[in-house]
Formats: sequence, C-alpha cells, structure tokens
Amino acid sequence: MSARSDRGLLAPTDWKRPSVKWSARIAHGALLAGLAVAGLGPMLWLAKAAVTPTQDTLRRPMALWPNGFDFANLAEAWTRVEIDKYFFNTIALAAGSWAVQLLVAATGGYALAVLRPRIGKVISGAVLATLFVPGVVLLVPLYLTILDPPLVGASMLNTFWAVWLPAGANAFNVLLMQRFFANLPREVFEAARVDGAGPYRLFWSIVLPMSRPIIGVVSVFAVIASWKDFLWPMLVLPDPDLQPLSVRLPVLQRFVELDVFLAALAISSLIPIALFLVFQRLFLNGASLGGAVKG
Amino acid sequence: MTSVDTRPAGVAGDRARPRTAARPGRPGGLLSRARGGLPTLVFLAPMLVVFGVFSWLPIGRAVVMSFQRTNLVADPVFVGVANFQQVFADPLLWTAVQNTAYFAALALVFGYPIPLVAAVLMSEVRKMRGLFSALAYLPVVVPPVVAVLLWKLFYDAGEDGVFNTILGWVGLGPFAWLQESDIVMPALVLEATWAAAGGTVIIYLAALTGVDPSLYEAAEIDGGGVWRKVWHITLPQLRGILLVTFILQIIGTVQVFLEPFLFTDGGPANRTLTLLLLIYRYAFTNSLGGDYGAAAALSLMLAVVLTAFSVLYFRLTRSWSNA
Amino acid sequence: MTTSRAAASVAAAALAVAGLAACSDDEPDDGRTHLTVTIDAGLEQAAIDAFDKRVEQFEDANPDIDVETQEYTWTAGTFTAQLAGGTLPDVFVVPFTDGRGLIERGQIADIGDLTADLPYRDDYNPNVAAAGEDAEGDLWAIPISAYGQGLHYNRSLFEAAGLDPDAPPATWEEVRAAADAIAEETGEAGYAVMTNDNTGGWILTTVVNALGGRTDDGDGNATIDTPAMRQALGDLRAMRWEDESMGDNFLYDWGTINQDFASGRIGMYVSGGGNYGNLFTQNALDPDDYGLTILPLADDPNAGVLGGGTLAAVSPNAEPDEQAAAVKWIDFYYMEKLTVQEAAVADAEVKAESGQPVGAPELPVFDKAAYDEAQTWIAEYVNVPVDQMSHYTDHVFDQPLLNEPAVATQEVYGILDTVVQTVLTEEDADIDALLDTAQAEAQAAIDAAV
Repeated sequence: MSARSDRGLLAPTDWKRPSVKWSARIAHGALLAGLAVAGLGPMLWLAKAAVTPTQDTLRRPMALWPNGFDFANLAEAWTRVEIDKYFFNTIALAAGSWAVQLLVAATGGYALAVLRPRIGKVISGAVLATLFVPGVVLLVPLYLTILDPPLVGASMLNTFWAVWLPAGANAFNVLLMQRFFANLPREVFEAARVDGAGPYRLFWSIVLPMSRPIIGVVSVFAVIASWKDFLWPMLVLPDPDLQPLSVRLPVLQRFVELDVFLAALAISSLIPIALFLVFQRLFLNGASLGGAVKG
Repeated sequence: MTSVDTRPAGVAGDRARPRTAARPGRPGGLLSRARGGLPTLVFLAPMLVVFGVFSWLPIGRAVVMSFQRTNLVADPVFVGVANFQQVFADPLLWTAVQNTAYFAALALVFGYPIPLVAAVLMSEVRKMRGLFSALAYLPVVVPPVVAVLLWKLFYDAGEDGVFNTILGWVGLGPFAWLQESDIVMPALVLEATWAAAGGTVIIYLAALTGVDPSLYEAAEIDGGGVWRKVWHITLPQLRGILLVTFILQIIGTVQVFLEPFLFTDGGPANRTLTLLLLIYRYAFTNSLGGDYGAAAALSLMLAVVLTAFSVLYFRLTRSWSNA
Repeated sequence: MTTSRAAASVAAAALAVAGLAACSDDEPDDGRTHLTVTIDAGLEQAAIDAFDKRVEQFEDANPDIDVETQEYTWTAGTFTAQLAGGTLPDVFVVPFTDGRGLIERGQIADIGDLTADLPYRDDYNPNVAAAGEDAEGDLWAIPISAYGQGLHYNRSLFEAAGLDPDAPPATWEEVRAAADAIAEETGEAGYAVMTNDNTGGWILTTVVNALGGRTDDGDGNATIDTPAMRQALGDLRAMRWEDESMGDNFLYDWGTINQDFASGRIGMYVSGGGNYGNLFTQNALDPDDYGLTILPLADDPNAGVLGGGTLAAVSPNAEPDEQAAAVKWIDFYYMEKLTVQEAAVADAEVKAESGQPVGAPELPVFDKAAYDEAQTWIAEYVNVPVDQMSHYTDHVFDQPLLNEPAVATQEVYGILDTVVQTVLTEEDADIDALLDTAQAEAQAAIDAAV
C-alpha cells in the first residue's frame, strides 16, 4: 500500500459528517459480518463436524453444541484411513514441484536476464508464448507424453516425476524471476565480476541471496498450486499408494464413515490455512499480483 | 500448475501475472564474455528440457493428434478432419457448450459485482483491514477438493442438510440443490464463487490503493458527493483492472472441471456436463478405448477461442503497464 | 558456442532427469517372478489381513513368485485410463460386459494356452465361459463369479414402517407400496436407484428385463422404446413425483448407493445378489439390517433376471512368466475355493477367523450341482445371515437368467443414465422425446461398435 493513500474515496471531511460516518460504519459492520460468515463459517463448521459423531452431524447439522465430542475421529482418520500416507504424498508432491519450479525459473530467469545468450529473445518468446495456451490443450498430449516420454523410455505414470516435472514448465515463474533479476542493480554484478566471480558464483552467492522476495512469491505459488491440484495427479497417479489428499478424498468418501471423513477433510485443510495465516502478507501481496497492472 | 487450471478462478488469485514492465534491455549481456558459453547453456538446460518435453512438445502434439485416430493400441492413423466432424456430430457437444456458457455467465453474475462492492467498502476501512482481507481470502486457500466435498454435504437435499436447515429457519426450502435440473448449475457456481471471490477482492483492493487521491479531491472541490465520486472517479479508474479480471474469469470458468466432476459428474441428465468434462470423457472414460483424437480436436477448438482472450488480456495489461 | 558441448550439457541434464525417473520403478532382481494382484478399494482392516494371509499361503506354495497387491476396483469411469496407461495390476477383474471387446482389441493377455490346462476348463456353463472366450473358443479371461440381480432391503426400516421383513415385496406394485410406507414412516428413501457412471442404465435394463423387455434385439438393433421401458420409467416417475418415496439423492453410483444403504438411508434397491460382501467389508453394514430377495418378475414369458459376472484377466504387459504366475494366482485365489474342497475350507477358515463374510449368495459359474457341493464344504464357516437371504437363494434358480446386452453395453448404459436422471430430476420430463433420443444414440453406439 502506497504511503500517499492516507485518504481514499472518502475525504477527511466526509468522515466528519455523521450520515457518512454512520453509513460507512454500518456498511463495514455488515461487510465484516458477511465475510466472517462466508469466509470463516464453513471452516468453523468443518472443525466442529470433524469432532462430532456422524448421527449428530446428519440429524442436526447446525446444532452449536453437539451431544458429544468424538476426538477419536481425528485419530481414526489419521491411522485407519491412512490420511498420514496421503498427507505425506501431498507434501512430497508439493516439495518436488516447488524444487523443480524454483530450479527451472531461477536458472532460466538468470540465464535470460543476466547472462543474455544470443538466442535469449527466441527462448524468451517461446516461453512467453506458452502463457497464451490454455491448460486444456495440454491435458491429453501431456498425458500421452507421460506415458511415453522422450529420452526416458519408461512410462512415468505412477511416479512423482509425472507431477513434478510438468510443474516446472510454468512460464509465470520464469517471467517473474527474469524480470526481478533484470531489475537488480548491475553495479553489484560488475563488482563481483571484477572480484573474479564467474557466472556460477554470481548466481549462487549474489543473485540468489538478493532475490529472497521473488523466491518467496514463487514458492508460495508453487506450494499452493500443488496442494490444490486435482485432475493432473488423478490422471498420472492411479496407484492409490502414491496419491495426494486431493485425489484420494473423493474416493475415500465412498468407504469412510462421515465423521471420520470430515475429520480427514479438516486435516487436509490445516496445512494450507496454517501457511496462509503465517505468511499472510506474502499471500495477499502475491494475490494482488494476480491481475494488477498498476499500483 | 501444469495442466488444466481446474478452478473457475478466472479470478485466480494464485496466478501470478507479471506487472513490472521489462526495461528495454541494455545492449549486451553483463557477462558478454560468457554469452552463449557453456555456463549459459547449463543455466538454460533445465528450462529448455522441461519446457521442451512438457510444454512445447505436447502443444505441437495436440495439433497433430487432432488429425489422427489414436488409441495407443494401434498405430495412429491420419484421418483428416474426421475428429472434428465427429465432435460436431456429437449431440452432447451443444449441451456442453450451452452448459459451459451458462456456468461462465452465472459466474459473472455472482462473482463479478460482489468482490467489487466488497473491495470498495474495504478500501475505506481504517482499522483491521488485515482482518477483512484475511477473511475474504481464507476460502481461496482451502484446497478446492475439500471445498467441493464439504459443500456437497452442505447441499444435502434432505431437510437436515446444512443449507436446508438454515433456510428452514426462515421458512424456505428444502431445496434439492444438486438433484434438480434448474438449480444445480447455480449451486455449482455459488461454491465456485465462494472459492474464488477472495482473490478478486484482493486484486481490486490493490488497484484501489492506486487511485490518485487528488482525483477525489478535485471532485470534492466540484462538490461531488460520495456516489458521484464512486461513479465518476473510482469506477473509471478501475476500468482497466475490471476488464482484466473479466477476461481472466472467462478464461478460467470456460475451463471449469472440478465442480461438475465432483459434485454431479455432469448430471443430472447432463445439466452440468461442461466442455472440459466432455473432453475428459472422450479421452479417459470411453470404454471403446480412449478417443484421444476427438479429445484433442475439441481441446484445440476451445483453445483457439481462449487464446484469443489471452492475447486480448496480454495486450491490455501491456498497454496499461506501459502507460 | 560449440554445438557438441551444448548438446552434451543438454543431454546430461536430460539424462539426469531420465535416470531419476527410471530408478523410481525398479523392481528388485532376485530371480523371482513379481506379480501384482488386485485388492478391493476401501477394505476394512480385517479384510486386508485376510487377503494378506491368502497371499502368504500362495507364496509359501509358490516360492518363486512374489506377490504384491494393488488397490483396484473396476469402474466405467476409470478403467479406460488405467488400461491405456498400462497401470493395471497384472491380474485385474472386469465385468462380463467388457470381456469381448478387450479380447477383440487384444487389450488383455492371451492366456488361452494356460487356461486350457485348468482342470475345470470344460466344466464352465457355456453361457458363462463365452464372456471370456475369443472367436476360436480360447479362454482369455477366467470367469470367477456370476451374479443375478436381487432386491436388497433394510429389515430395520421395514419394521419401522410396519412392514414384515420376512415377507418382502414380490411384485413391483408391492415394491412401490413398501417404498411409500418406508418413506412415510421413517423419512428415509423407500426405494433408490443408481444413476451415474453407467449404473443407471445397468439397473434400468435390469428392471426392463424383469418386465419382459430388452434393450436390443441381439441382431444389432437397439430397442429402447418398448412397453416394458415405458412401464419401468412410469413406475420410477410415480414413485419419485407422486409418492415421493425415493429420497432426495438421484446421483448414486455403485459405491455411493452401497454406502447409503449400509448406513440405513435406503429401504430397497436393486443390485447384484452377491453384494453383501462389499456392503459388509467396504461399508460396515450391520448384518441384522440386511435382507435380500429376488427381483419381482412380470407375468411375461420374456421376463427374466439380468445376470452378469466377473472375469479375471491378465495385463497385456505381463511377461510370459508373469502370465503363468497370474493364472496360478487366479486359480488359487478365485477358483480353487469353488473347485477344491481343501482350498474352499482354507479360504473360508481364514475369512471366518478374521470376521469376513463367508457364504454370500452367488450364481454358479459351472453348474448348480457343483455350486451346491462347494456350499456344503464351507457350511460350518458360513457367517452371513443366510436366513435373511433365503427369499433370494431359494428362488433365484427358478428365474430365467438373462445376459447383459452383448454389444456396446457400457455405452448404451451410459445413454440410459441420462434417461433415468432426467425422469428423476425433472417432473415434467418428456418421456417420448427422451426415448427417441436414447434410441438414436443407442443405435449409433451399437453401429459404431460392430
């Protein structure tokens, strides 16, 4: 938020007029209540339902104080339903996707922005062009590529690589990194070069440490996108032992009792919500990047 | 991620769009000595391999495949435009086109004005703005599959369903949310909007802080009231970002998959069969063997339309960021 | 830049990627044959333990075979992708309806030479064997079980509605009346039907058959619009909209209807007669609630009960030694309990000890005498509530058994899904128009398949 916006739509004089002041207050109160109900309500309900016996949830879903608490739901979800396994798969998928995306974007962005090879413009253009291609067009051919990848020989289905590697082909990340690197002060690079730093050391010891903010943004995007992904891991990880929560939960719904299932849903939401609460600023700044052209 | 963005998050808060315009490059790379040398290649290699194998190659393959009959069992056969003809002959295509358009239109009705109003109000909040933003954004971080499965329970058609209980307090319902052909699509859109609107709010909020206060001051000197300021200053100032979120939302909602797949599997009676669900069925659930050709043909046609929107989006963001 | 160096570093990066990908699915090379077999999804722990025990017994008897399990349940919606992706286990199961197409397209391994040596190869009921045979009569897929559709009902809901659970409905009028009473008295769905993932067409075809109709003439012509079809849909419409006795979920598939039935939210539904095992092991059904009776048949010479069954097939990617091991496993796990007394006893013993159901009714894959004999072997282990299934087991053999439509079965089922869903969710559904459309689409699907 820029410093100049110590005022907005309403002028300080507006705030002094009772009619404006009170309508604004009422509107804000209503907005806050609405946001709390819509944003927090479902999550609070889930938290309650996760420790409520099935019949209570079915018969009186909105009862504030259920007949009994059943914390065993959480334990049962974790062990018998093996949420732990799917949870770790989810983490492994997110970690791998994060690593691949960061590797590709950081090295690629560095090469394009700092090393600037002659064919850089062509490569840049080719990467940028993929931004225009909607995801749907990739679905089938990418699946067939995973079945029979070039160079590898063996099908990558049922391996985490089938999720990790395609995640790396993310043009937004490359672009973000490239632009960030391009705006770093060149004098620092020159000084490093005079000190005898080659391209590797320059990357590792100068550029990366200076790029924490953008690495943070890309990391959040990567982890959240991976946590959210459904269709792709469902297609390439048909083996339940490898599936993440998002793919597994709809299947479990058929077999697991409702209270345990809700506990599983609650556990699945925990990490992303916790991450959000901790890194709120990063998330919201990142989100505003989402469409911002100004400001 | 890689594949299809399964959120109708036209407004996809989690999608980074670059905003900093690249400075026109200074002539010559920094390490001119190394231009094109081995180190450069080493740094380029991961990107070239990953994009080559998982982006450029599949995009090319999509075009080729749409003119082939291939089911992975027999060798692919070149069939000209037969796949396109087959897709056009499928009565479900028009059902899917209509449903998808309906979803996108409803998503605009539900998801377009509310975040704008919320953001304008929030931008005037002086205390606890962080709390407002956090509450608005919370649904966006809930894993979409969890959100859908949870809402599926909320939509239970019995009198004891969550929503029906709440509506029962004021004497409404019960509604058969997902089971009734007329309200199933609005029900899907409602969840999708809940899941995505927070991202749009944050985008508008950022844009609102960029509105130059002197414009408001000028309007006040002319004696403009609050509504006049909203109408004559705020909205025109947001024109650019409103168009951008509009286009982003269209691109996202046209590719909706998760909601119809998990809520209803396209039912009841194909009322929620969307284009992406149809492509998925062509490719992955046809028991005669995956009809990848038809799937590729339909994806390609959809992609051409969406790419037009993307190009439009890019031109808009470019021209504004250079302005 | 030198091209060779460039190529070298790109290749190096690619190889690193390749190496990482390749090493992830390496199998230990210990000279044994590695076989991946199918285990049902979502089993209770006791059922998993029972399965593991059978695996152990098999490995003891075949020390050169190493068995691994893979969770797998056939559904129309996922099977194709798994087949195309080559991710099926070495041994997997498919319904009878899929056998012919898979064999014609060479999508399962040709194990005809191996199955020819099975001692019971020639004992199969020819109708049953045909589901797994190619045009030359080689058995590519082994029929492991057969079922006839039955009417499952919840005895507790019957009692709560003032109905006699020992006198289940015997006509469709009685089904409707019972459903109405259950909905009225308990608020749960009196009668429910599957509608999704091709199961809607499966159940609709079942009811049409029970009313004396067929969905094709066996000669390449779809016959969707028949009096039996109109009656079946008319009954559904009446129960849904006039009686309002079908509850409020009209998007069930096989798994979800089982789940709701097991949790006491459904009074009656039609599904395979052998479904008890799944209800118990996957959905924790309370045995006391369970009742099973035969499908009511109309007074029509063509009326019959739709039957089907399950084939065990071998992945086309299996090496010859894996194919041999696969047939051994199929013989051991699925077949011996039907053919060899000690095996039947051993199987029943393991299951009974771990509290798994023994004795749920099936139809014979050989003949009734062999089936009855096998039942006597395990009589002392039977732990399912057989009394509550006697209306089915006593009479199902008197019902004419009909096979599922042979051509484009799943496609036509899928087309009929839409018909059922429309009737159940649109009060003013135009049945004439629905049947017109369905007829045209079904004919197109059949034409495409032949």
